[in-house]
Amino acid sequence: MKKRGETTAEDILQTAKALRWEIGGNIHEKLVEAIYTDAARIADRTVTREGVRPRFDLDHSIDHLVTSRIWGFPILLLLFTLVFWITISGANVPSRIIASFLIDTIYPVLSDGAANIGLPWWLSGLLIDGMYLATAWVFSVMLPPMAIFFPLFTLLEDFGYLPRVAFNLDNIFKKCGAHGKQALSMMMGFGCNAAGVIATRIIDSPRERLIAIITNNFALCNGRWPTQILIATIFIGTLVPTHLAGLISALSVVSIALLGVLLTFIVSWFLSKTWLKGEVSTFSLELPPYRPPRILQTIYTSIIDRTIFVLWRAVIFALPAGAVIWLSTNIHVGGLSIAQHLINFLDPIGLLLGLNGVILLAYIVAIPANEIVIPTVLMLTVMVAGLQGVGAGAGVMFELESAIGTLDILNAGGWTLLTAVNLMLFSLIHNPCSTTIYTIYKETGSWKWTIVATLLPLGLGFTTIYLVAQIWRAVAFVL
Amino acid sequence: MLDPLTSLLVAALLVTLGLSLFWPERGLLSRWQRARRVTDRVLTEDALKHIHNCEMTGDRPTIQSITGALQINPTKASELVNKMDAGNLVQFEKGTLHLTPTGRESALHILRAHRIWERYLADETGFAESEWHLQADYFEHYLSPAEVDALSDQLGHPTHDPHGDPIPTAEGELVDHQGTHLTAVDIDVPVRIVHIEDEPPAIYAQLVAEGLHIGMQVRVIEKSHQRFRFWADGDEHILAPILANNITVVPMLEEPEISPGMRLSSLKPGQKAKVLGYSPACRGAERRRLMDLGLLQGTVIKAEYTSPRGDPTAYRIREAVIALREEQANHIYIIRLEENVA
Repeated sequence: MKKRGETTAEDILQTAKALRWEIGGNIHEKLVEAIYTDAARIADRTVTREGVRPRFDLDHSIDHLVTSRIWGFPILLLLFTLVFWITISGANVPSRIIASFLIDTIYPVLSDGAANIGLPWWLSGLLIDGMYLATAWVFSVMLPPMAIFFPLFTLLEDFGYLPRVAFNLDNIFKKCGAHGKQALSMMMGFGCNAAGVIATRIIDSPRERLIAIITNNFALCNGRWPTQILIATIFIGTLVPTHLAGLISALSVVSIALLGVLLTFIVSWFLSKTWLKGEVSTFSLELPPYRPPRILQTIYTSIIDRTIFVLWRAVIFALPAGAVIWLSTNIHVGGLSIAQHLINFLDPIGLLLGLNGVILLAYIVAIPANEIVIPTVLMLTVMVAGLQGVGAGAGVMFELESAIGTLDILNAGGWTLLTAVNLMLFSLIHNPCSTTIYTIYKETGSWKWTIVATLLPLGLGFTTIYLVAQIWRAVAFVL
Repeated sequence: MLDPLTSLLVAALLVTLGLSLFWPERGLLSRWQRARRVTDRVLTEDALKHIHNCEMTGDRPTIQSITGALQINPTKASELVNKMDAGNLVQFEKGTLHLTPTGRESALHILRAHRIWERYLADETGFAESEWHLQADYFEHYLSPAEVDALSDQLGHPTHDPHGDPIPTAEGELVDHQGTHLTAVDIDVPVRIVHIEDEPPAIYAQLVAEGLHIGMQVRVIEKSHQRFRFWADGDEHILAPILANNITVVPMLEEPEISPGMRLSSLKPGQKAKVLGYSPACRGAERRRLMDLGLLQGTVIKAEYTSPRGDPTAYRIREAVIALREEQANHIYIIRLEENVA
């Protein structure tokens, strides 16, 4: 029973409800703002800060230089050209040393050892020719450039320059519905797409982060540079006089990389206008003070955090890939190996796309790591064309020292200039490697976006090379 | 092998086919989806909403008005009304359509679902303002009362949708919004926008494009039959009276907080200012982000330098340098501080 003058919970709720309507809709915002403002006032009253800022503010001067209208972009270009140049030229030698150690020294020892202890041929083939060799390729191609690129990149980050890059480039990214910090994850993607996808963590706006993750694959990663350089050298470089060959092949590789940047912008714009329209989007970009880079610590952490991490994942995926490659060329069904069956099946599709069955199969088995595309292509071509005296047998990947030798093998496999151009295009525009796909899943936690990030570039790649092949042939027909 | 011209032709055909199937809004797929959506249930609910709306505004709902509002033919409309009558949702009283208590209950549920969904889109997603209404028109038919309550809970039980319309409570109470049309306001009287009508969409889109929002402070400068000139949060706007009529305002009791004409975006490098507050258009995640950065009422902010392409600009906020884009800086009201020349 309710007595007079006594308020019940019901009454209070009723009053509260009535008051809510009087207060209006933005009470929560007002409250939060008031709490923040109070906190800020208390902090301002109690926190003392050290004296006045020095008259010559170094940070300020550097900022004015690196973000200036005249010098901003040239400094940016110069620094990144330098980083890539150091990476590419510096990685060559250690790559060759590691390759010669793992493949020319260790590999024969392992093979002989297996023969001596009487391992059956199929077991040593699977373990040594398949799994060991694939991992050795990935290791020797991947490790040196990553061990150079990541520390250099981290040094720039540590110094405080990278946020200024995002600041300078934000306007361009804004036009595509993306965040300026995507410039950084894209740069990182030139080193390794899996690391690039992880680097998108710096973007705190959900929509812009997804855009950066999905388009990261269009940054030509370290694993794909060697393919581009090799194909450009032996097919495009040979089209022009010798003294121009180096320049022209380098230019063609650079234009492929720039095409990737262009695609990043186009696809970002497309995504922000369509599928990602509803995702939350905010913007903020902190420009921290500069500080002298801690060189040793940087090298240590970037090697541990980035290089070893990415390499470990790549090795995990390369082991089964090596096994699959070896098995597919050594298991015979109806007189032909499985690889041969697959190539026969894929050949019509490949030729229609301006590639061939061997390349398609190589791209399927090389999903774990782009580094093994060329060795796999060479091995499969030798097998299919029935060449004698080159290569190392079914299921054994190899590369040749001389470009001419490689060209001979590929010509025997029926390659043309169109095949080379389309391979370069497809190497840029295809699904991310399995390491990256797995990382995308880890980072987004969503199968949907992982599938989009995988199939979107693949579809785009097939469309591009199909159109290029048809137009190429039509022009050749008319001429 | 196919000859290249044929295969190009095939590709072109495939692309055309794909585009005509999957093109957003005009493609066959979305047309088919839209057609499938218009079931009897959806039509009934839209009709209930229309009748309820007429009752609120004091108009008389008829079969003609239903025909117009739902964009269906008159035969279909009268069939619909008959069905609703049989289902005890509406009844005729002295030749006028009325909602029965059951009918009112479902009409209020649809209204609640619509307005809460709009609130959700405004606060928690990145959809553009012009899309809120259309999306809510679709989702209102697929949200159960329990789902709407859960969403309301998640959003902190909002009282108004982002256009300023009150949201019916779960118990079915609906507060009528007060205020007068902007066109009825006298010159130079300070008022505040409390509601912007979101129908018809074409007019609403123009108001959004003008940058008008709930909560803005308005002062009318000039009114005539051709045009309507006023200040809103420091910017001058000129609207046709038919547009201005879709804005509802209430008199402002307190003094105007913001002196006209000053937004953070107008601050030149080297200048200092004090923050007065945020524009009402800055909401949800974006607003929280700015508060996280310590950009609050009374904070002193200094423009440091701009990017080589003129946008974004770096500002010094509480000893940190933060870059903000122009449209964000546009959402922050400031008062300029005089330089103390050292």
